[in-house]
Amino acid sequence: MHFFNQVFNYDHPWSHVVIGMWHKYPNPKCSHVVSIDVLDRSVDPVTGIIRTERVLGCKQKAPGWILKMFGGSEDAYVREISFIDPKNQRASISSVNMSLNNVAQCLESIEYRPASQTHTSFLQTAEITARMAIWRSVADGVERWMLQRFQDNAALGKLAFTDVLRNLWEERNVQAVAAL
Amino acid sequence: MADSLADACTPLKRSYDTCFNAWFEGYLEPAVAAGSVGAKEREEYSKQKAQEFEANCGKLWVSYKACVQNALKENGLDHLLQQTREEHPMKEPVTP
Repeated sequence: MHFFNQVFNYDHPWSHVVIGMWHKYPNPKCSHVVSIDVLDRSVDPVTGIIRTERVLGCKQKAPGWILKMFGGSEDAYVREISFIDPKNQRASISSVNMSLNNVAQCLESIEYRPASQTHTSFLQTAEITARMAIWRSVADGVERWMLQRFQDNAALGKLAFTDVLRNLWEERNVQAVAAL
Repeated sequence: MADSLADACTPLKRSYDTCFNAWFEGYLEPAVAAGSVGAKEREEYSKQKAQEFEANCGKLWVSYKACVQNALKENGLDHLLQQTREEHPMKEPVTP
């Protein structure tokens, strides 16, 4: 098993971050994400929580040795479930790989909460586990490749989302000022 | 706005996404502000907003969803999706 976690703050209020979430892609910094589709969405009439299920299509090649051993292609799909709770100002997002799922699993968990009126805290964890009864060295190799890719994508994701939030909210501030 | 996994569904997706984003932004600020109101009022607001979402975006959702379901089948992803859903239903939020 391999683990990953990071914590940091975005310089935007929680509601801005949660609105920005839906604008994260396409993104030149995360060019590996090529498609997103909403599979399901529901608004709980009692709690007000919005649950959304999405599938993300990524172009990211696994190393040659993994492809040879387990098959697979350049097209990788990830399933993402998010819960947005406006009453408690909590957004939790969980993702798991669909592709290469029988070989290894990368389960990611993200939470956005207000850190203050103007800042939002971001907590991200990932748990990577090889699945099959395969040689320890192979399991370890697969996990380590998945972890490295996850770390790289997480770093890109952070930069990418920072840009998205800045552009989105700067543009709106300009429009708001122009409208005065 | 990102593309759909199938080109044919991309325009349907964009219409749906635009509708959702507009509704969502209208929903969020008051819902956050309503933190201080009573449970009854909050419930009324949530219910009303859920209905509004259905009214505004319901039709777009139906077309888009049908297109995606089809695309998943054509790409051989429907079984995989089913498996993933069974293993991780994720019906409730989980804190990291």
